[in-house]
Amino acid sequence: MGSPAPRARQTLTHLREESIRAIVASERAVERRFNEARLVASLAVAMLLVGFLLVAQWRGNASFSATLDNQSDQNLAILIEDLTTQNSALRNDVMRLEVRILDAERAGKDRGEVLNDAAKELAGIRAIAGLDPVSGPGVAVALSDPERVLLPQDFVALINELRAGGAEAIGINGVRVVASSGISGTDGVMRVGDTSLSANYELLAIGDAANLEQSLALPGGLKATLSTFPGVTVVIDQREAIALPAAGTS
Amino acid sequence: MVLLLALALGVALGLLTDIAIPAAVLTYVGVAVLAAFDSVLGGIRASLEHTFDDKVFAFGFLTNTLLAALIVFIGDRIGVRELYLAAVVAFGIRLFDNLGIVRRLLFQRKGWE
Repeated sequence: MGSPAPRARQTLTHLREESIRAIVASERAVERRFNEARLVASLAVAMLLVGFLLVAQWRGNASFSATLDNQSDQNLAILIEDLTTQNSALRNDVMRLEVRILDAERAGKDRGEVLNDAAKELAGIRAIAGLDPVSGPGVAVALSDPERVLLPQDFVALINELRAGGAEAIGINGVRVVASSGISGTDGVMRVGDTSLSANYELLAIGDAANLEQSLALPGGLKATLSTFPGVTVVIDQREAIALPAAGTS
Repeated sequence: MVLLLALALGVALGLLTDIAIPAAVLTYVGVAVLAAFDSVLGGIRASLEHTFDDKVFAFGFLTNTLLAALIVFIGDRIGVRELYLAAVVAFGIRLFDNLGIVRRLLFQRKGWE
């Protein structure tokens, strides 16, 4: 009973040490695995981010170089050339199609309508030429110049501005102004054709009243310019009905 | 393998979400991407050398990218637009260094050297 006891103890100690070693080894293995997993996971997350940013960057760069700002001069010239060619081709198309529309309209209309159109056109031309007295809505521009500082070119500018604003007929102090009217002035006395004008001018223009007023009264426009001359006042008002005589009668 | 998969996943994510980096920050993000890629290569190298530490890696990754973008940003602000070149060159050299070391370590491990 005395001798087997220490041997058994020895075996037990040995077993215990062995199992401890096994536990430590397995713990290490687990730790290594764990560390490896963390390693791969963090690297993978970083890779994911890199991939994502790469694509976003790629796309951002693609759209960046697509903007005109970043094209070389040569590229821009080519682009412009292309667009010009395309534009002229399209313009040709438009012309061709317009001609076809006109043809179709002409074919589709009966005589009465054609005559009607012609009459309308004729009326418009007569209004522009000042052959007939006309009336309609428009603006009245009251221009007083007690010191006689206005020059003929100021009136020409006014008339041009009104025409550009869509005036169909224009008169100064009851004298119809047409394409052939001349405005002259000596010593501050204005003449339209052969008619001398008094110093209180009244320009009448028939057309879209709002547009006409705007064309004169816009900031930096003629009204502002003329008002800076000494003594000159400009008053614009829109009227429902304005009547102008035919040219050559006053 | 897992890393390549992650990269592919990131690319796919980027393609799916349809996000484009705005032109104003394009250079910043570009340099930041370079820095991030350099960090990842550095991490792979460290893992092959058995000195990898995930905290060090995460911190290095963040600071590298942010610093890279910051350098470009500062360059823009102080009128040295070419400062981004410094970042590009620095990260480019590091990138190839790391790549070379990773390649050598991998070869050693496979016993080809």
